Amino acid sequence: MIRFLIKGLMRDRSRSLFPVLMVSAGAFLTVFLYSFMKGTMDDLISSNAKFDTGHVKIMTRAYEEMADQTPNDLALLGVNSLVERLRSSERNMVWTPRVRFGGLLDIPDEQGETRAQGPVMGLGVDLLSPESPERDILNLESAVVRGRMPQSGNEILISEEFAKKLGVEIGEAATLIGSTMNGAMAMYNFKVSGTVRFGITVMDRGAVIADVKDVQSALDMEDGASEIVGYSENMRYDDGTMLTLTQRFNDKFSRVDDEFSPLMLSLSQHSGMGEYLDLVDVFGGIIVLIFVVVMSIVLWNSGLINGLRRYGEIGVRLAMGEPKGSLYRWMIYESIIIGFIGSILGTVFGLAISYYLQYTGIDFGAIMQKSTMLLSNVIRARVTGWSYVIGFVPGLVASVVGTMFAGIGIYRRQTSQLFKELEV
Amino acid sequence: MNLVEIENLVKRYPMGKSQFTALKNINLQFEKGEYSGIIGPSGSGKTTLLNIIGSLDIPSEGSATVLGKKIEKLSHREAARLRSRHMGFIFQTYNLLPVYTVFENVEFPLLIMKMPEKERKKKVMDALEWLGMTDKVDSRPAQLSGGESQRVAVARAIVKQPELVLADEPTANLDAENSYNILERMVKLNKELKTTFIFATHDEKVIRYLERKIYLVDGQVARDEIIH
Repeated sequence: MIRFLIKGLMRDRSRSLFPVLMVSAGAFLTVFLYSFMKGTMDDLISSNAKFDTGHVKIMTRAYEEMADQTPNDLALLGVNSLVERLRSSERNMVWTPRVRFGGLLDIPDEQGETRAQGPVMGLGVDLLSPESPERDILNLESAVVRGRMPQSGNEILISEEFAKKLGVEIGEAATLIGSTMNGAMAMYNFKVSGTVRFGITVMDRGAVIADVKDVQSALDMEDGASEIVGYSENMRYDDGTMLTLTQRFNDKFSRVDDEFSPLMLSLSQHSGMGEYLDLVDVFGGIIVLIFVVVMSIVLWNSGLINGLRRYGEIGVRLAMGEPKGSLYRWMIYESIIIGFIGSILGTVFGLAISYYLQYTGIDFGAIMQKSTMLLSNVIRARVTGWSYVIGFVPGLVASVVGTMFAGIGIYRRQTSQLFKELEV
Repeated sequence: MNLVEIENLVKRYPMGKSQFTALKNINLQFEKGEYSGIIGPSGSGKTTLLNIIGSLDIPSEGSATVLGKKIEKLSHREAARLRSRHMGFIFQTYNLLPVYTVFENVEFPLLIMKMPEKERKKKVMDALEWLGMTDKVDSRPAQLSGGESQRVAVARAIVKQPELVLADEPTANLDAENSYNILERMVKLNKELKTTFIFATHDEKVIRYLERKIYLVDGQVARDEIIH
């Protein structure tokens, strides 16, 4: 019977080729959309992790409450010893202190008068230590557009767009005007060693990257930091592991009654990030569900049309004594074969496009000019293990469900009308 | 023993709020090996009677016993089994499956019976030989003439060597020569295999070949002639 079924499928394009193309299209869209959304979400998480939250982040309890204002007067102290302790106790993690700051960047002319000035968002990171992980985490070297990486103290990187806006050239002086940890006015002279473009609008609009020791010095934060960020060694975020680490650290170091005690938060515990992570998890499910429903309706309709087209065949088979259940199962087997082949084709095409976009990406920079999200301008797909199988869910399920609905007509067929129907 | 026994059979169909009586008080018996026909104009009830004998429909009243089974008491599955094992059907419009070859079309009823492949092949070739179609085994229905298509349909009906073949206007779409060919072959099958044939027809070409002619008028048996 199966041999007969396959012969029928191979010889009749309207019961094989067109349904296969339809299923392929559905599977392709599912695989591609899933991979693209996965890439987008992962990029969002990755960008946030790299530039903001880390996989885990330690701040004082007080700083954490007002973190959006970068209140360095509430910063962590005794950072060096805490980092050393973390490095020895949590060896699977990479730890590094950071200072966030805001202020004005003043560009003087030859007479030392202000030539240009603009607000900056600054990040003090370990740029100069040979063991520093920051160059890799922030991907700084490949982000340099002009000039070079800082090689000695007091050298900074500024974002390319910001540099163009201020008319700053490489090697020129730039003065940071801000406030110290103690609330006093801070002025500190730097030299621009290079410009960078991260491809993240919010960072490229006006960021300054300086060595953490210079920033500590400029803001009177000796042995202090806004935060200590930690990353897993393989740079892959695992929520369960990070939550366990967070719990372990907080049990040991954090005290509810001390607002200056350190508090560790995992990426998912930061405002909104947990929801993003959940969204990533459910998004694939939502896409698949939508496609299963839509494709089922389409294939149901297709099955009904196919049923009309094969009305004579079904009728004559019923007349010959083939049980209705056997005919119904025949239709289901056909749909499984079509669903399987269509899913394979759709998945192959979906993976091909997704892999291509994983490497090239699509540049949305032009429409993200005013973005405040830490999201890369070039959005890439990401192929995961799920990308290989997710297309089969709508491909197979929708095919079978659509056929099951359409095939109910077989059970409603009145055998008493067969002679009349078959004589038409 | 009679192959088919029909007693006081009445068949009614709903027609709006009232009912239309298609068959009225039919009493008939068909013996094994008969070559008989139900004759009448359109609307006389001959296809309805063929439907009931073929277990495709059930009587509203009375009883129809075919091969010892009371049609009105059979479930859908039992009726399907009765058709697949013991009956062959021939339609006016052949109704061959267009995607399958001649061989596969004839093989199909045996597949429904789950017959082993070796036995199947032999029976199919025997049936095609009976109908003179062995040179067309690999042809598709679209490549056949009307007469050839009907010969394949007859081969499909007799391949399992059923006790009973029901044919509804089998020559209606055929010219005189093809009708003659088909009818001659069916007579031969009837004589040599003792297959019982019941036709529903109003075609004179068929009527000439019948050994028993049952005339239906307005759903009632008007005349039952046996030709010796």
